[in-house]
Amino acid sequence: MMALRRRAFGLVAPGGLAILAVLAIAAVSAAPPLAAQEDAVAAGKVVYDRWCAECHGETGQGDGSAAASMLPRPRDFTQALYQIRTTGSGQLPTDADIRFAIENGLPGTTMPGWPNLSDGEIDDLIVYLKSFSRFFAQGPAPEPLDFGSDPGGGPAAIEAGAAAYLTMLCEECHGLSGRGDGTSAPTLEDWRGLPIRAADLTEAWVLNGGSSVEDMHTRMLTGLDGTPMPSAIDAMNSGVVSPDEVWQLAHYLASMGPREMPPLREVIRVGRAEGGLPADGGEEAWAGVEAFYFPMSGQVVQLPRNFAPTVDGLWVQGLHDGTDMALRVQWNDPSNSPDSNWDEWQDKITAALDLDGAEPIALDSAGAPTVRPPDAVLLQFPFEPPEGTDRPYFLMGDAREPVYLWTWDSEAGVGAGRGRGLDSVEPLAEDPVTGEATWEEGRWTLYLRRPIEIESDGLDFAEGTPMPIAFQAWDGSSAEVGKRSSVSTWYYILLEPPASSTVVVTPLLAMLLTGAFGLVLVRRAQDRRRDG
Amino acid sequence: MKRYLSHPFWQGAIVIVVSYVAFEWVIGYVLPVIGVASAPVPSSVILQYMLTVLVGIVLYMSADEARWKSFKKPIHETMVASDRKTLRGILMVALPVLIGWLAYQNVRPSYAAPATLRSVHPAPPNQLTFRGETIELTGLENPLHEEGSIEEHLAVGKRIYVRNCVPCHGDLLDGQGHYAPAFNPVPADFTSSGNLPQLTESYVFWRIVKGGPGLPREGTPWDSAMPAWETILEQDEIWATILYLYDQTGFTPRTWEEEGEGGHE
Repeated sequence: MMALRRRAFGLVAPGGLAILAVLAIAAVSAAPPLAAQEDAVAAGKVVYDRWCAECHGETGQGDGSAAASMLPRPRDFTQALYQIRTTGSGQLPTDADIRFAIENGLPGTTMPGWPNLSDGEIDDLIVYLKSFSRFFAQGPAPEPLDFGSDPGGGPAAIEAGAAAYLTMLCEECHGLSGRGDGTSAPTLEDWRGLPIRAADLTEAWVLNGGSSVEDMHTRMLTGLDGTPMPSAIDAMNSGVVSPDEVWQLAHYLASMGPREMPPLREVIRVGRAEGGLPADGGEEAWAGVEAFYFPMSGQVVQLPRNFAPTVDGLWVQGLHDGTDMALRVQWNDPSNSPDSNWDEWQDKITAALDLDGAEPIALDSAGAPTVRPPDAVLLQFPFEPPEGTDRPYFLMGDAREPVYLWTWDSEAGVGAGRGRGLDSVEPLAEDPVTGEATWEEGRWTLYLRRPIEIESDGLDFAEGTPMPIAFQAWDGSSAEVGKRSSVSTWYYILLEPPASSTVVVTPLLAMLLTGAFGLVLVRRAQDRRRDG
Repeated sequence: MKRYLSHPFWQGAIVIVVSYVAFEWVIGYVLPVIGVASAPVPSSVILQYMLTVLVGIVLYMSADEARWKSFKKPIHETMVASDRKTLRGILMVALPVLIGWLAYQNVRPSYAAPATLRSVHPAPPNQLTFRGETIELTGLENPLHEEGSIEEHLAVGKRIYVRNCVPCHGDLLDGQGHYAPAFNPVPADFTSSGNLPQLTESYVFWRIVKGGPGLPREGTPWDSAMPAWETILEQDEIWATILYLYDQTGFTPRTWEEEGEGGHE
């Protein structure tokens, strides 16, 4: 730029103003890269400091003040290790890749999408994020991979994809059913050495890189840098799988579960069983029974809080026969706790997470936890169907108004209790609820059965009257005990009443009356006209 | 077309149709699309509105003798004229079926959750106790305006917010944190003009200190997942968070002078 300017001055005398003007324009158009770059870095820093720094840290190392309560941790921009890319394994992301992550967020993590930022702000932010690492300044801009074209889905493609799932050893981490329960799952670590989950592929709506077939295919070809998820390119190059098979695998992954979070319905409808209640939680007996999904959050209301819960939702089905009711509750948990294969995972989670200063599990003199806790779940009801909308406090009631609990854990089995707050439960031995739970390929299935009304004082259901219900869950292998649970707020459960004659009689009566009234009216009007 | 528009009977019919469309769809679904805060109208309220419209139409039509006559004429004609036999027959069947269907809607078993009426901004108390210390809320100002550096307070507020509030209220302060889908009622949206700008800082202080459990009955305290933050945060941390909320959203709080004029909703 200096040379250009010097030459410009040399030309002023002979060439006159016109040439000066031309050169000035040339100088300006040559200058922007650097000056504009500096402007963009400065503008990007303003956006970054305002919205990003508290998690990603002022110096971009992913060590902001809130980082310790998050797992996975916020990205460290100084490493230039980006999970969500369209470039090859180990390569830098394109600007479009960084934009994709900013605009869409990383589902399943604490990183949201940022629709509040303008295109220009995101442009500046990208320049600033890249300035945290010297790698972006070296070498040419990264190029996206050639992803080929999708040969198409359908049952045959999905079947071929299922075979490729095994050929590619996906099940070693993600498990046979894709619930992140593979044999290697407890050992997985990210580049920092922190424990990281194998993605639950049956909950596509929390996959970091998106849930479409194209998203899944892209993630497989690029791998997720900084995590144990490798790129499929090596397997393709060495002939283990063909490019088409990787597309088919993407179709198979997309078929493993719903792409979107199931819609929330507030009332669990417990239908009347035709031909008897199911005797267990088996698939045949419950096929075709409507299932209701309830998202769950970490317990973040009372100390110690749970900012990274394992169980993020559960499914409930119910049937009754007028005397007894049966419920089936299912939730994904990659570990059947206590399981010694997951002990190390439990220790790593305990060390990695900020647990509000509390030690959830006592340690022995060698610093190892004294307890390997079980998995657990509970269903919570008020003692009486509420009058009006009054209910006990959603976190297991309080001293004023207790809650009625059906409890299960993987060691003690099914029971009942009275809750007066999160850490105050006393057993209710007289409640006749029975049941059992089975764990298979990363999923618990809990079967519960009980009379609708009981002889002793306690919880009675009335057909047709909605009864409030709420849930909690614990994953022992992630050191979830006591208040460190997953929770839901209040919903309702409703036992379908027997078919009532009023449903038929009332509308018929209304039709008859209206019809008769109409006839009389018309007849009178016609009579009057004839008379008049 | 014009003939219909000038005829009282068809005017009445058009008013009824337009009113129903407005109550059922425009208020609930069109207004939110164009950015006006609104929600679907409950069917019982729509019924009341429609009855009011009907009574209004009848009153208007019967106020003038000639208008009333021409209003009634098509109805009367349909009942008696021999060339309207087909229409008469159709109506004699269709109207009872319509009434029967409405009756069925009323008596069929419902699987909807019982309606809850919840006051979003219930009236605050005059005072509260913070870990045993009594604080007068009336006339209370954010003490941090008067002391220390505002930049430092905002930095503290941001740290507190991101560490504690983001899981529910979200990084964007829009009530869409990653746990928000699991909560009913949904976490408050601080970017909405219906929240922060309507409230004094002392009101926000009360809501943060006492959380869900400290709500009065009309606020359905048993449902709210908002913690009582006095168990976790210090007073100055809460005041700093309030400064951050207003600063980051660009809203200004209501002042006690405005409060005196308008009072609380």
